[in-house]
This record gives sequence, C-alpha cells and structure tokens, in this order.
Amino acid sequence: MSEIDPNKKAMSPEEQKAYQARQKHRAIITAALLFFLVVLFYFITFVKINGSVL
Amino acid sequence: MTIASTSPHKLASAQDLFALTKPRVMSLVIFTAICGLLAAPGAIHPVIGFTAILAISLGAGASAALNQWYEQDIDAVMKRTANRPLPAGRMDRETALHFGIGLAVFSVLLMGLAVNWLSAGILAFSIFFYAVVYTIWLKRSTPQNIVIGGAAGAFPPVIGWAAVTGDVTLMPVLLFAIIFFWTPPHFWALALFVNSDYSKAGIPMMPVVAGRQSTRRQIAIYSMILAACAIAPFALDRTGAVYGTVAIVLSIGFAFLSFRVALSKTEDPGAMKAEKHLFSFSIIYLFALFGALIADRIILA
Repeated sequence: MSEIDPNKKAMSPEEQKAYQARQKHRAIITAALLFFLVVLFYFITFVKINGSVL
Repeated sequence: MTIASTSPHKLASAQDLFALTKPRVMSLVIFTAICGLLAAPGAIHPVIGFTAILAISLGAGASAALNQWYEQDIDAVMKRTANRPLPAGRMDRETALHFGIGLAVFSVLLMGLAVNWLSAGILAFSIFFYAVVYTIWLKRSTPQNIVIGGAAGAFPPVIGWAAVTGDVTLMPVLLFAIIFFWTPPHFWALALFVNSDYSKAGIPMMPVVAGRQSTRRQIAIYSMILAACAIAPFALDRTGAVYGTVAIVLSIGFAFLSFRVALSKTEDPGAMKAEKHLFSFSIIYLFALFGALIADRIILA
C-alpha cells in the first residue's frame, strides 16, 4: 500500500533530468556487475565440478 | 552542525555507494587477506582464490557501510567525515542499511558456496564484530575502542588462510595477533598529533580520556607485545630466515621509535616528530612484515 508523502514536491525538469541520468548510470553499473558475476559463477562451476577451468 | 536532510527525490549515485565501502581501508584488508592466502600451506585454484579475496573485500565493504549507517551523527560533526554520503545528505540511511546488509549476506554466501563454510563463518563473525560489537556497542563507551576495532581488522589474513586450508592453526592466530597489537600504536601515534574532532563527537579516544603521557606509555607496551608476536612465527619454526630477519630488524626499529614516543613530553602537535616517525614507520612495518612472509614462502617453496 502506498502512502502520500506531504513533503514530496514535483521535480523540476532539471531535477528530473539529473535523477534519470543517475538512475541510468546506476542501471549500467548494476548490469556490468551482474555480467561479471555470471562469468565468475561460470568459472567457479567448472572448478567445482572438474577441479580446473578447462 | 546538523545533518543535511535528504531530498525526497535523492537517488544515491553509484559513486556514493562505492564511497560507503571505504575503499582506502579496503586496500589494507585486501593486502593482508592475500598474504594470509599465499602464506597458507597447500594450494588453491586461482579462480577460488580470487573469489575468496572478492568475498573478503565485499564483507569489509559491508562492515564499512553498516558503520556509516550507524555513525551518521558522529560523522556529521567531524571535519574529516562530514562530506561522506550520509552526513552530506546525498543518501538516506535506509539505503545505506539495505546496501550494507545485502552486501554482507552476499559476501558470506559467496564465500561459503564457492570456497568453504569455515572461512564464510569467520567472515560473518568479523562483519558482526565490526558492525555490532565495535561500532554500536564499544566505540562510544570505552577508550580501548581502537584496541577492539583492531580485532575486526585482524580477521582478513585468518580468512585467507582458512580459505586455502579449511582450518585455523597457530600460524593464522599469530597473523591475527600481529595486526591486533599493531593497531593501537599505529592509531594512537596518529591521534597524538592530529586533532580529529573525536572529543567534539563524544568518542572517548585514549589521548583525550587518559592523557597524552598515558597513551605514550601504552604505545611502548603494545610495541613490545607486537615484537613478541611478530618474531614468534620464526621462533616457532613456522617460517624461514627471510621472515625471521625482517621481523627482528623491523620490530627493533618499531620498539625504538615507540620508546622515543614514550619519552617525549611535548604537547605541541607541530613538534611531535617522534609520533609522526612512528606513524609513518608503522605503515611500512606492516606491509614489509607481511611482504616478507610471502617472500619467505616463495623461497621455501
């Protein structure tokens, strides 16, 4: 259930632009980290199963 | 000084989340963890070794984030910390708490699943120790806070060792003791000549509570215990002559500088040359001692 925050004012166009830029930057970093973890877990799986990567 | 309020539309940036992990402190954690990992007998696959160091780093970052979540009020009144993301109002406390807990859980699970559950257990305990025992419980209540905080910083080589061997023997305990007894002389030497606003923030730092002369005497006492711990691995035949020679020479130097501090009477921070020399040497001491441990292991191998 969402509550209405009385202190919350509408963002100005500049604030909205800065907010979206920060959001985009965070999304890119999160995607890069997730990709890195996928690769890391891929190699960990090999080591755990075979005792080596190749 | 009041804590800056966070705008309802404030979204913490990736840089601020990174800053929350105290990256500079993390470098020492990574270094000592790598040393523990390399000094341990046996072998570890490079991928697993890398994962262990990554998990230790993330655990240290989680501890730092939880520390800043709790200490927002203290950080806001000290010049050195006032520009951190929370007191500066660039992030809300809830974000820091969620980030810290998330990182802590992830680091422990990563360590347990990829490396082993003993090192994961020690990592979990070290995060709990730093965030709860040190930050929440003892930091504001005792002038021995630095001594207790030193224990949290002493865990990484033990975790690195346990990641390779799956156990904790006398040697990792000695590595723990070296960092534990190194921390008080290192930080108190700095606290003697730097006014870090701790008294303004209500933190009972030793030079403020017990006075400068008492702190200087305690530095000398800790330096003797540190020397005993640093030389012990060689005396107990756990390392070779390379480490032994470096440990003896460095410990004599550390004790000499500590006793110069103990004999100093100056109250003027600008004239505290002995304290400044000890602080600079203490950093070289730790890096050189752990570096010698690795060199010794490579030569013996």
